[in-house]
Amino acid sequence: MGTSGKIVAIAHHLPKQVLSNDDLAALYPAWPADKILEKTGIQNRHIAAPDETAVNLAAAAAQALFAQGRVGPGDIDYLLFCTQTPDHVLPTSACILQKRLGLRTDIGALDFNLGCSGFVYGLSLAQALIASGQARRVLLLTADTYSKLIHPMDRGVRSLFGDGAAATLIEAVETETPALGPFVLGTDGEGAENLIVPAGGFRQPRTEATAVVEADASGNLRSAEHLYMNGAAIMAFTLGAVPAAVDQLLARAGASLDDFDAVVLHQASALILDRLRRKLAIPEDKFVVALRDWGNTVSSTIPLALEPLVRDGRARRVLLVGFGVGYSWAAAQILIGEP
Amino acid sequence: MQTLYAGLAEIFEIDTSEVGPDTVLADHNWDSLAIVSTIALVDEICSELLDGAALGECVTVSDIVALIPQARAA
Repeated sequence: MGTSGKIVAIAHHLPKQVLSNDDLAALYPAWPADKILEKTGIQNRHIAAPDETAVNLAAAAAQALFAQGRVGPGDIDYLLFCTQTPDHVLPTSACILQKRLGLRTDIGALDFNLGCSGFVYGLSLAQALIASGQARRVLLLTADTYSKLIHPMDRGVRSLFGDGAAATLIEAVETETPALGPFVLGTDGEGAENLIVPAGGFRQPRTEATAVVEADASGNLRSAEHLYMNGAAIMAFTLGAVPAAVDQLLARAGASLDDFDAVVLHQASALILDRLRRKLAIPEDKFVVALRDWGNTVSSTIPLALEPLVRDGRARRVLLVGFGVGYSWAAAQILIGEP
Repeated sequence: MQTLYAGLAEIFEIDTSEVGPDTVLADHNWDSLAIVSTIALVDEICSELLDGAALGECVTVSDIVALIPQARAA
């Protein structure tokens, strides 16, 4: 027997405003609404209000988790907050969330900056904290507001990304088989420039020049202060890194894909998910697709997809893979539900 | 080659019979989404990951085909 973390509850929160395919089609005449749905698998994205930040979304997701009644704010002894759109350069958004949620002051709280791989990295961190006896109940919050980084006329990214947040409760359990892990982690900064907001940090502070909006070869508009995605490079990275990570994870777990009840990949787009599913030969009935109603919510796509599986309580062995900006990727085996 | 043509026809939203080596990409909305789709298609058919920038410079279908042995040699 050993101490392991286990996901015992998930909740989410999405902003009220919805950006539909009809809204997008009205802006981009070459992209009818049905084509956007076919290519992206997305019908709607939720968009944060001007005064609504990732901290607001994360707080609402955490409150929805507490409303499930399993735990209250006083039960949390570590807060991990994954975001790339924090409220401030400093202080740490997790500290703001500690106060806002009424968490105890004798707990650890930190932000970590990762995108689409962030949830699985958060599980890895939570498992390390719990297995080493530093925490018993970790609250992992993921939230992003990429809409604030996207030029309205950059259809390539605007059609994909939605804002949202998830709250995941990870509790210590005594178990023969760890309920989180093994993990496979990967990093390749070579791809940093392929998914980037070039200006606005300290490397390239905002100036009049960085605010100049230009059209790219496909007619998408953006400035150096907006999100840029090299979709072709991201696709090539994904088709190489994700199958390799899955192979490594299966070897580490001593398992085959048949041993898993469900596979939840980062919900990047229907095009990427469909290609990965076929490349990995994952049966459709095990392959979770959950992006139609909220789009690619970056660090929250996996918990959003996982939430119904955790809620129904059935024992499942699940394979997770997060991948994207960085490049950064992570795969994990997790056990959920009651045996 | 027919599998590739059929896949490209799907991306261009035209009939397979209309796709040949001389098909001009610019006539069929050869944008970033089409390029991303083509990378996925060629990976599926040939297990080759093509370079997006090189695809962006392709003018006709034969230019895409010419990239595939290059990807194999790289």
